[in-house]
Amino acid sequence: MDPLKRFLAESNRRSFLAGTLGLGSAALGTLLNADCLAAEIASDQPNPADAITTAAPPAKRVIYLFQSGGPSQMDLFDYKPGLAKRFGQEVPTSVYPAERKTTMTSGQTSFPVAPSRFKFKQHGESGAWISETLPHLANVVDEICLVKSMFTEAINHDPAATLFQTGSVIAGRPSLGAWVDYGLGSENENLPSFVAMTSNGTAKTGQPLYDRLWGSGFLPGRYQGVKFRGQGDPILDLYDPAGVSRQQRRRMLDSLAELNGQRSDQFNDPAIVTRIAQYELAYRMQMSVPELIDLSDESAKTLAMYGDDATKVGTYAYNCLLARRLAERGVRFIQLYHRGWDAHNNTPKQVRAQCNDTDQATAALLRDLKQRGMLEDTLVIWGGEFGRTIYCQGKLTDSIYGRDHHPGCFTYWLAGGGIKRGYSYGATDDYSVNVTENPVHVHDLQATILSQLGLDHERLTYRYQGRYFRLTDVAGNVVRDIQA
Amino acid sequence: MRFRTNQWPRFVRLAIGLAVGVFAFNHQILAYDFATTVRPILSDACYHCHGPDADARAADLRFDQRDAAMASGVLSSGELLARLTSDDPELRMPPPNANRPLRPSDRQILTDWASDDAPWPEDDRHWAFVPPKRPGVPDVSRTDWPINPIDRFVLDRLEREQLEPSPAADKATLLRRFSFDLTGLAPSEDDLQRFLLDESPDAYERAVDRLLQSPRYGEHMAVGWLEAARFADTDGYQNDRLRYMWVWRDWVIHSLNQNLPFDQFVTQQLAGDLILDRNFMTQVATGFQRNHRINSEAGSIPEEWLVEYVADRVETTGTMFLGLTINCARCHDHKYDPITQAEFYKLFAFFNGIDEAGLGPNDGNSPPFVAVPQNWPSLSDEEMAFVVPDPMEIRIVQGNVPRPQAGSPETVMVMHELPKPRTTYLLRRGQYDQPDHSQEQTAAIPEAIGNWDEAWPRNRLGLANWLTDARHPLTSRVTVNRFWQHFFGTGLVKTSENFGIQGDLPSHPELLDWLATEFIRQGWDMKAMHRLIVTSATYRQRSIATAAAFETDPENRFLSRGPRKRLSPFAIRDSVLQASGLLEPILGGPSVKPYMPPGIWSSISNSKYKRDDGASLYRRSLYTYWRRTLPPPTMMAFNAAARETCIVRSDQTTTPLQALTLMNNVTFVEAARQLAAKAIALHDTPREQITRAFVFAIKRFPSEGEVALLCEDFETYCAEFAADPAAAEKLLSIGESCCDDSIPKAQLAALTLVCNTIFNLDESITLN
Repeated sequence: MDPLKRFLAESNRRSFLAGTLGLGSAALGTLLNADCLAAEIASDQPNPADAITTAAPPAKRVIYLFQSGGPSQMDLFDYKPGLAKRFGQEVPTSVYPAERKTTMTSGQTSFPVAPSRFKFKQHGESGAWISETLPHLANVVDEICLVKSMFTEAINHDPAATLFQTGSVIAGRPSLGAWVDYGLGSENENLPSFVAMTSNGTAKTGQPLYDRLWGSGFLPGRYQGVKFRGQGDPILDLYDPAGVSRQQRRRMLDSLAELNGQRSDQFNDPAIVTRIAQYELAYRMQMSVPELIDLSDESAKTLAMYGDDATKVGTYAYNCLLARRLAERGVRFIQLYHRGWDAHNNTPKQVRAQCNDTDQATAALLRDLKQRGMLEDTLVIWGGEFGRTIYCQGKLTDSIYGRDHHPGCFTYWLAGGGIKRGYSYGATDDYSVNVTENPVHVHDLQATILSQLGLDHERLTYRYQGRYFRLTDVAGNVVRDIQA
Repeated sequence: MRFRTNQWPRFVRLAIGLAVGVFAFNHQILAYDFATTVRPILSDACYHCHGPDADARAADLRFDQRDAAMASGVLSSGELLARLTSDDPELRMPPPNANRPLRPSDRQILTDWASDDAPWPEDDRHWAFVPPKRPGVPDVSRTDWPINPIDRFVLDRLEREQLEPSPAADKATLLRRFSFDLTGLAPSEDDLQRFLLDESPDAYERAVDRLLQSPRYGEHMAVGWLEAARFADTDGYQNDRLRYMWVWRDWVIHSLNQNLPFDQFVTQQLAGDLILDRNFMTQVATGFQRNHRINSEAGSIPEEWLVEYVADRVETTGTMFLGLTINCARCHDHKYDPITQAEFYKLFAFFNGIDEAGLGPNDGNSPPFVAVPQNWPSLSDEEMAFVVPDPMEIRIVQGNVPRPQAGSPETVMVMHELPKPRTTYLLRRGQYDQPDHSQEQTAAIPEAIGNWDEAWPRNRLGLANWLTDARHPLTSRVTVNRFWQHFFGTGLVKTSENFGIQGDLPSHPELLDWLATEFIRQGWDMKAMHRLIVTSATYRQRSIATAAAFETDPENRFLSRGPRKRLSPFAIRDSVLQASGLLEPILGGPSVKPYMPPGIWSSISNSKYKRDDGASLYRRSLYTYWRRTLPPPTMMAFNAAARETCIVRSDQTTTPLQALTLMNNVTFVEAARQLAAKAIALHDTPREQITRAFVFAIKRFPSEGEVALLCEDFETYCAEFAADPAAAEKLLSIGESCCDDSIPKAQLAALTLVCNTIFNLDESITLN
């Protein structure tokens, strides 16, 4: 009588027949070889390595500080001194045509000019005009390259943010970080190579974010960004259950590897080997993440530089500090999202609050990277999904104005990673409505980011539904003029 | 660099004339069959500039049409050959900057083909556009193996490849395999016992039939349909407002359980509001094409989003029924398949007459919707009547934001036509604000696919008539191929989403056509087809492969062994709930909110996740609330479709996040504890308890070595927990459910960890 049958007969007075199992043993050493993680890219796929243009790209990694909601370009960077005298006058329709206004303001009978009420000053050797709301950034302005001529087609948050992060307003495409991960792979086997982090400002509100922004779309799931969380486990289900010791987990994993290894011997299916390796990677992640988020080795000076929030989990400052620590550990693509820039009503108040929440940490990140010699090969990007209107949304008063979404022009800045320092690129008209010089489309920015990483955006493709997709769809030009 | 017409004369001298011997011609056809070998390369490497898209066409040269290609002279003049073999970057094709580099082996094939004067058969229609003809079932030399016709097609191929089929898997493995494949759940111990004891010749078939009758069948088979139909509980943009579509989901489960013939299943979903015998149920079915995302973001321009919804319906129809990437023709003529941009808008016109709003309401169903009777799904005769939905009513709010009325949780969205449909124009570059008023489009099908019967109405019902017409080249093939994918992990056409020219060729073309015609012959009977596949000898083979077999055929395309695949994310979670006894088998109803990590919604949005209690924590995963912008992480970790667009095939990558989920996620830890308690209640010794837990989870008797290893672990854990009772207490307090208090804590905690190990075995989440 076979064992399953006997066992169940004895215990249940029922009889069963058997399954079979051959025993074997697996040499764990070879099973855990990193080669087990060999690309799961099918043979009919293009080789992402073909997209690599240089072995020594100017940028080795990216920190993208996404400012969700649409920061107000004319209140921060795009200085328009001439508008003060036009306060309250109608924005000419020749400048701002009616068609592409959101329905939140398209029904307004009046579109009065709302000049920024913030003071601007020139800073640094480059003499860049920066609003008084960004005093910290003003001090490091010679590190950054302002691009004042960004534009997009999307006027609503969801499609606009999706376009910036995935190259298309249509859902289902891989995100920027996933493309980079696919193209370049990981530098650190103990941490994910693409990490996403989110934070809220003190206003506690803002536009929602969506998993698709750091998703892998049609790329294999392993390329999706791993979200670091501000509550609970820093990575979902990272920590062992309460009461389980590391020693017990190690024992469990050893047994698991032994038992899975036996099956692998029997089935010859490499998927089992891969699975064993992924458990080991998970185990290493369980050790490396606590070390990553343990800030006790940061000097008081460094913490002070990032500000009071630096040690508060889930804040923008904390995320910036973590971004530097991730960058140090070879994480390839670090994507931050800070919510709350959607200043429809009391724009001046909201812009000031957002700046208070972020300015110090942003500048500290640049300084910190610089002092560690990392800014050179780390590309830092700052910007949101669109800009804001020069015309006032709602009632215009001496001190209060609102601003609606504006896709026609807005400002981004880039730093490090082979981008020109202390440089300003592109220009807008007198109203900060249309680009007048060197327009940079979302796809152009994406092409440039990939280029800095040594990837050709036209060659980094993946075949899906019979078509070769790329991040930049069928467009995108690298902005050579801002490359150092 | 592209072909330039002014360079043609340089190659005329290379012309080798048309007088190629017919025997040589035939010989070459065998080696380089045009449709299966040459055209896929031409399509992949050349069509982008020399294909169907007139706007992108270079040098006025196209390789997608025989006559045009022949007339160009390129094939016979030697130019093609020269372009393929030249070292001059100015001449060589594809040009060096092309993103579609031609593999050396493919270049060789084209070169050989071109050297042989590029034979191009007169009937060169793409196989998938030619209606399937029922092939004869092949004669095979080995007659003791085949059980049904499927096997003879498979064996015929194996014999030609000089391969042997594998022996049948053992009964326990088979029962587990087809139980999961048919119901998404493991067999119960009773089922296993009954099956193993049943020595009658039709024991297998009767076990299959019993599962086909289980209500769990409809639940499991619904999952793939829900993913393809992008079913979700929220609208999917920005604030991701709530909607109520679970009644439609229950209609799908119900219809699958009732074995509604597939032609009716499709017709009711596409046009249940237009059919003669329409009623409330067929009306609910039309929610299918309302499952797309709806934008409710204030400030959105309604006209822009209306276009997106209709385009989504066309895309979904294209993928699910035609297996074609119709959506590629939204902005320009299709790059590969014979579908023009105008034809995209002709299909668009079928779906462009709905009385709907471009901007969704703030929470709630977007019109048209109908009220669902309280005692759904048991309806009185009166309640079964078709309901005319209230017309859409737009109110201007927040200044200038036009919002429609919102349907309450007691409604469901349906399709309903406007008295007069919207006029459809071709949209330049697919943009809502770029209509080409000179190109008004009325509802029609693409010319290359099937035939239109003038008796059919030019509306969604006619579209359904066309799709379910017995002569249609694609619907049945695409559908049986998805069935095959369901059971074997890979379709006979691997690219189940694309049967077009860029799609993969079928591994067993005759089998595919036989199944497609058999499906229709059987009256579109889905259960009959599932039964046919599951009872085949092909399906029953052992999935163990020798290293050599794996090397020759890693993907098992020849089908010389049984299917081996990872469980779906839904089945992974359901199976641990089932093994532990926690699973709540309630069928249907509003979606439920089981455990989620803290701040799952509030951390990145403006809403809060409010977890359910009690039974709702343990329902089958297909009932888990699906918030589109933040889908359930446990499902997504195992590659579930995101429900944003139509997805019919998912990848199966392995990631460390999967390991973390299975080891640490509250559902899995709680289930391990319950499984441990269940085993302890039944047996006295750790050895028996562990064996029992193993059998509960995996339906296989563990080896001596396996038990010994796990027993050793148990003893170690037990000693550790005895020394640290607080740790045991902590582990045992995870999850809402209770366990028998009388079980010593150290023992229960230690066995919980052992069960945690068992749930993490590759075998637990794999179908062998």
